[in-house]
Amino acid sequence: MSWLGPEEWQAVALSLKVAFWAVALSLPFGLLTAHALARWEFPGKQILNGIVHLPLILPPVVTGYLLLLTFGTQGPIGGALQTIGITFAFRWTGAALAAAVMAFPLMVRAMRLSIEAVDPKLEQAAATLGASRLWVFLTITLPMILPGILAGAILAFAKAMGEFGATITFVSNIPGQTQTLPSAVYAFLQVPGGEDSAMRLVIVSVIIAMSALLLSEMIAQRIAKRVAGT
Amino acid sequence: MTLSVSIAHSMENFTLNAGFTAPPGLTVLFGRSGSGKTTLINAVSGLLTPQSGRIAVGEHVLFDSSQGINLPPHRRRLGYIFQEGRLFPHLTVRQNLSYGRWFAPKSAPRESLDKVIEMLGVGSLLSRRPAQLSGGEKQRVAIGRALLAAPRMILADEPLAALDEPRKAEILPYFERLRDEVEIPILYVSHSATEVARLATTIVVLDDGHTTHQGSAAEVLGDPEISPAGVRSIGAFLTASVAVHHDDGLTELDAGGTPLFLPRIPQAPGDTVRIRIAAHDVILARRKPEGLSALNTLMGTINAVRPGSGPGAIVSLDTPAGRVLARITRRSAAALELAPGVPCYAVVKTVSIAPRNISGPAVSS
Amino acid sequence: MPNRSMTLLHSLRRCAALAVMGVASMAQADNITVFAAASLKTALDEVAAEFTTQTGHRVTLSLAGSSALARQIEMGAPADIFISANPDWMDHLETNGQVAQGTRRNLVANRLVLIAHGANTEPLTLSTGLDLPALLNGGRLAMALVEAVPAGIYGKAALEHFGLWQAIAPHVAQTDNVRAALHLVALGEAPFGITYATDAAAQPQVSIAATFPAESHPPILYPVAIMAGRDSEAATALLTHLTSPASLSIFTAHGFEVPQ
Repeated sequence: MSWLGPEEWQAVALSLKVAFWAVALSLPFGLLTAHALARWEFPGKQILNGIVHLPLILPPVVTGYLLLLTFGTQGPIGGALQTIGITFAFRWTGAALAAAVMAFPLMVRAMRLSIEAVDPKLEQAAATLGASRLWVFLTITLPMILPGILAGAILAFAKAMGEFGATITFVSNIPGQTQTLPSAVYAFLQVPGGEDSAMRLVIVSVIIAMSALLLSEMIAQRIAKRVAGT
Repeated sequence: MTLSVSIAHSMENFTLNAGFTAPPGLTVLFGRSGSGKTTLINAVSGLLTPQSGRIAVGEHVLFDSSQGINLPPHRRRLGYIFQEGRLFPHLTVRQNLSYGRWFAPKSAPRESLDKVIEMLGVGSLLSRRPAQLSGGEKQRVAIGRALLAAPRMILADEPLAALDEPRKAEILPYFERLRDEVEIPILYVSHSATEVARLATTIVVLDDGHTTHQGSAAEVLGDPEISPAGVRSIGAFLTASVAVHHDDGLTELDAGGTPLFLPRIPQAPGDTVRIRIAAHDVILARRKPEGLSALNTLMGTINAVRPGSGPGAIVSLDTPAGRVLARITRRSAAALELAPGVPCYAVVKTVSIAPRNISGPAVSS
Repeated sequence: MPNRSMTLLHSLRRCAALAVMGVASMAQADNITVFAAASLKTALDEVAAEFTTQTGHRVTLSLAGSSALARQIEMGAPADIFISANPDWMDHLETNGQVAQGTRRNLVANRLVLIAHGANTEPLTLSTGLDLPALLNGGRLAMALVEAVPAGIYGKAALEHFGLWQAIAPHVAQTDNVRAALHLVALGEAPFGITYATDAAAQPQVSIAATFPAESHPPILYPVAIMAGRDSEAATALLTHLTSPASLSIFTAHGFEVPQ
């Protein structure tokens, strides 16, 4: 393991942990939001859509700053959560939150597209056969959108692995807690002669991202075939 | 169980204001495209909420705007057969068939899975996926799926419209079996006079959002006043029994004492059949014609002559076999001096009585 | 024949003369690009405006972290003058031959301060006995990246000087630039931080708890130089202006110090 130093491996491990939890915990929210945007009608739907996409348009540093204001120890939500023992400031949980927020729009978009691709007539047919909205979702919609969910999750994972601007603005750089791969790469680039170390970490990031993408492609194709019945 | 419907619903450029009661059996909602049939059946199924009205199956009220009752589709216990089948692509045929059973209440009377499979002939398809089925096979599975959901009533929205002629001929008998062998009432939407003629116990006519007529099949189809599908589809509805099958490929029917010849049909001697004779296949004569190739000559008395808007006219003739309609030109009607009370002969070509115009007891194929 | 060619030559000469005059008149108002460390912004805006008023030359300021700017220059960015927040990056460019010979000098200096949240913090004495972790009370000390960003490097050096680094290291929150550390303290997310004196002066929600003595860290110098091959008249004039006493007084008014 001499190719990467211990601190570097720590950054890799932390990034994997942060990205995993960011995706795992935002998955149900992403699915719910995607379903609401795809299938429900309610006042304020377009506003919700706009808010979901904000992290895509705002500079990451701005998003990170907003997270700091809201979830920091001095912030309204962060302060309240601290009283029940949940802290985001300067902890890997904060890094996961930042990654989740930045990745959320990508996840929702992918899932929404796949939900919209499900023929609502099939959902209607299921309803006429006695399935309530929940059962329609579980037995008809969900199996058919699995490839889309997977795509959304992998995309979000890749984005979370690469998230930097919001993370460092919100939870700064603390080795072992919030120094993710991109933070480490950034720090190396700040030092004259640090390019080699930076490149090594970049290679690791690329390998992880490519593997995730390839894996998800394979699984998605398998599922899609099964769903189409071919 | 009787279905009673009375609803009003306005959309952008269409208003539906319809009401009817459908007795047990197969009730056809008959009308042109755009007359509101699909809107009506969607209201019955719960996929559409009408602005006002009442829908009830027997004593189960599904919708009543004055009482604020509006059951969601999944609680109405109606089996819906869609035009496009709408089978679930990610499930096998067996899973599709059984889908509704899972949600049916324990107390509901259920059809046996095996009986339905046998009735619809889908036994060999059970482990396939919908993508591997032909159009006709898909519709059969769709019928079975709706039936197996233990519904109070079956709805069918032009289930044969998406099929080609051979497929239609293949599937129609299954609906006849459904009507005859299963106790569940059926509401069937169609704009095809052929389907209507073969399947309907009762017909409700829908025109431009209003129910204009309701009555038994023979009454409605035999009345030239009602031509929702166009003058071309006007025809007579006769009941006859099979007399004998001749060796030269013809079957002789006994229609109220009058023999009628048609190409061989599968039903056995003694079976009762319903036949439809399209008005445009009938020629009228004041004197009994001789030396014609047509084998079927019916003698009767004219009871009405109704001129159409163009050059045509519909003549309604009472014969021992039943009421027969003929579509001729107004010029001929005048030339022959046709008027109510005038005796007249109706001539029908043997091959005009096509197999698809015949319905009778189920025949194992 | 000779008459015609003489006329032609005469016309050509006239055109040439006009062209030279045209170019000369264009040369009157140059545009000079300056890449500078972000912490110099407000002071540099003033100094550059003065220069434009006096000479008519326009100055384009591009402000960012010194490392990013240096890398861009390395890759060919069209900077005429570079002002770095620490000597290392200027050394780096000099080694690569990208600095115009003889144009490098120290522009200004800065002081390092320990800041605290709030407008009136109690002054602290910097000594080996200072129990910084206790003062943090579970919170964090906000600093710029201690291995990479000049303010962080100086901060760590200063803490090491007082033997305080080992104890405080696990409680440090590193930001990607010194202004972000300043924000953390201003918001109250971090009770203490280490920034430049100029940063603290600009932020009303923090106050200086202690100033690090100059000998506790490498001198915080801001070297300035003209980039190789770009020493035009205008650039040279700007360099002279930047290092003039008048400009220096603008810098000191913003909290910078005269370089030793």
